[in-house]
Parts: sequence; C-alpha cells; structure tokens
Amino acid sequence: MEEAQVVGLLVRRCVGGDAAAWEEIVQRYHRRIYNVCYRFAGDSDNAQDLTQEVFIKMYRTLNTYDAGKGAFMTWVTTITRNLLVDHFRKSKGDRITDSLDSAPSEHEDAQPLSEQIADRGLPPDAQVQSRETREMVHLALQKLSPELREAVILRDLQDMDYREIATALRVPEGTVKSRINRGRAELARLLQRTYKQVI
Amino acid sequence: MPEETKHGVECTEFEALLSDALEGKLSAARKESFEAHRRVCAVCGPLLTDVQAGRQWLRSLALEPVEPPVNLVHNILAATSGVVSTRTLAATRDGRTTPFGERAREWWDSFSASWFRPVAAFVRQPRFVMSFGMIFFSFSLALSAAGVKPKDVAKVDLRPSALRHAYNDAQIKVVKYYDNIRFVYEIESKVRELKRANTPAEPGPEQQKENRKNNTSGQPDQRQDRNYSQEYNQPVLAALRAGAPITPVLRDGVGDASPAVTVALTATTNRRFV
Ligand SMILES: [Zn+2]
Repeated sequence: MEEAQVVGLLVRRCVGGDAAAWEEIVQRYHRRIYNVCYRFAGDSDNAQDLTQEVFIKMYRTLNTYDAGKGAFMTWVTTITRNLLVDHFRKSKGDRITDSLDSAPSEHEDAQPLSEQIADRGLPPDAQVQSRETREMVHLALQKLSPELREAVILRDLQDMDYREIATALRVPEGTVKSRINRGRAELARLLQRTYKQVI
Repeated sequence: MPEETKHGVECTEFEALLSDALEGKLSAARKESFEAHRRVCAVCGPLLTDVQAGRQWLRSLALEPVEPPVNLVHNILAATSGVVSTRTLAATRDGRTTPFGERAREWWDSFSASWFRPVAAFVRQPRFVMSFGMIFFSFSLALSAAGVKPKDVAKVDLRPSALRHAYNDAQIKVVKYYDNIRFVYEIESKVRELKRANTPAEPGPEQQKENRKNNTSGQPDQRQDRNYSQEYNQPVLAALRAGAPITPVLRDGVGDASPAVTVALTATTNRRFV
C-alpha cells in the first residue's frame, strides 16, 4: 500500500475512535515534527512543548483533514508552522520585556557566534561533519530571520518540495524559492564570517 | 553598482533560475546562459557560491536528525487520547540507553520543568519540598554507603538488567540505591500527572464531527495568513500581557542559552530578492 493510502486509512480509523491508529500516527510523525521544531526553536525544551502542541492540535482537528486537498505531511506542516509563528511572536515579546528588565546591550552580539565557536576550538574544515560542526550550523540557523529559517528547514532538512512548502506557508512558489536561496546564502555568509574571525 | 544596473534584468532571471539550476533541472540552452551570466556577473557568481555552500551546511544537519526524548510519544498520547499501549510504555522505560550524564540532564530538565512551571505551583508546598529533599538525601546517603564516589557516578549503568547484576554481585545497599531511582521516577510521573490534571481535557476527534459542517476547507485552522513580521513595524516599548503567567526564569537557565533571533542581517540581501 502507498504511504498516502496508509495514512488515509489511519486517519479514518482514528476519527472513528481507534486509539491504536492515533498512536501509529504519533509514532510515524513525531520525529519529523520534533526535528522541525528543534531546528526552528533552537532548544530541546521548546521543541518538546511545541511538538506536543502540534499533536494536540492535530488530534482536535483530524476530522477536518481532507486527503483530496493535499498530502498529510503538508497538512501537518501547516499546523506546525502556525504554532511556530505563535511561538516566535510570544518569545519575541518575552525577549523585549527581558531586555528592558536587564540587558543594557540591545544588540544580539553580546555573545557572538564566533566566540562560542572559538571556545570549542573548531577545525576550519567545512568537510568535517562532526558534532561540533552541526552544533555550529544549528547556532547559525537560529540567526536567520524566521521566514528564511523555516523555508530552509522545510527544504534542506525535511526535503519537502517547493510546491508543498508553498502550500504549507501559503506563499507563491517563487517566494519560497527566493527565501530558500536567501536563507542558504545568509547562512553561508554567517559561517564564513565566523571562520574568518576564528582564524 | 553600475554593474547591477547593466545586468539588472539578467540578474533577476539568474535568481529565478537558481533553484532549478542547483537541482539540475535547467534545459541545455538555459544552463548555458545561466553559466555565462555567472562567469561575468560580480554579484551573481559569488551568490551562487554562497547558496551552494549554505545548502551543503544544511545537508550536514539533515544527515543527522535529532532523536527526540524517549518520553515524548508517551507524553503526547497522555495529553491526547490518554491511551498508551504497552509497546510505548516499554519503549519509554527501556529506551534509556543514552549515557548517564545525558539521562541525568534530561531527567533534571523534565523535573525542573514540572517543578518550576506555574501550573504545578501547588506542589511547592512544604511537605512536597520535604519529600524531595528526603529523596535526594537518602539517594546520596545510599550512594556513599555503597562506596560510590562522585567521580564513579558517571560510570554507573542504570539499565535494570545491569542493576540486577549489581544486585547479585554487591551488597544489599545497592538495591536501596535502585529503589530510590525508581521512587524518584515514580514521583516524577506523579508530578506530570498532577500537572496534566490541571490542563483542560482534550475533546476526542469524534466529538468534533459537527465542526466539520462549518469547516469544509480541509485546512487545520482558520488563522491562515500568519506571518512572523506582522508586528515588525510597530515599535514595542514594553510588552507584558495581562493575565500572562510570570514564569520563573530558572527553567531557561538549566540547559541551554537559547540563541536570540536577529533580523537585521537580512537587510543586506533584501535588495536582491523579491
Ligand atoms: Zn548578475
């Protein structure tokens, strides 16, 4: 059976009240959703909370999923993305109040990426895909604007195609492509700048 | 700058073709004009290099997906259907094969998250504090009684099978140590249950079938055209929502310094796209 058919069947069983079918859906998709949330939000605590919120929302609205209107993963990504927007707005508000309370430095370069990387003594070899390298790319990813970050996460980490991403983000395909390329270029420049400072 | 105006139209086209070019989807003729422009344009050549490099960096992340915490599925099911199969239960309990240090951190994270969230505020009563204090006290007492030095703790294997071996080999004190760990785990899940009991129960999907009549779009929710920058142009001097819970900052201080988001950087490239 094809993936779409399997999922369609699971959704129908689940809407009919089959708890085992719901568990199967959770087992199938939790890694993917957790990874999107982790790469977007930046840390494990927020990623866990967000992933749980995504599934709570899915559980509530599963009966509105229409297989005829698109792939299940696109539907799930739309839910995830909406919650990420809410999370971003909320955390942005928190940060504004935080900075008013405490930090005199209004710029984000209080602890620049280069310092964090210098501490780790990273080899300046882009081919070394060590844990430290991934950590560094992850940190740089957090510096991208949310629009660019979500676009590259969905394309380059989740391997979704442009059409699916455009549907999930509700923007034209051309805009998706543009954001993805901007995000990639921005990330490369951030990492290059970092390396120059480290060396 | 003069170069940009000279190649203005070509540059726009170059950008439009960039994605397809990277994926090898360009026709031979288009690929040729794309390559020709890349060679002569001082802006688009480096741009392509950056985009390729960025894609490579991101691929390195894609190769190693992050493994979610072992109790995530359990927590999701408990918060939704409330039905957790024995398979998931077993995976949650036995799946802890990560090193001790990481498990301890994870445990501490979830413990502190449960402990410091306002929703669990009522458990911060003296008798609870005393119980937790006693657990830690007896835990450390059992450790020192069993002759475990702090530097040895990192080597301790907490898997039940390993602990059963320890039981056969060593003194009865080790059993006490294991019981304490189990006790702490049980307390932790009780705290989670208490926390969950405080959040409103989720209605099952079947109870919401009537909503379908109102929502035939097949879309997950009504707020569809969301974006991150809606509030960018409005200066916010202070934001503290009425009724928003004041969460103690201790929770964020535990694991990671969540990197702040910078939007200023995009200004450098905005000019070039859309
Ligand atoms: Zn050009």
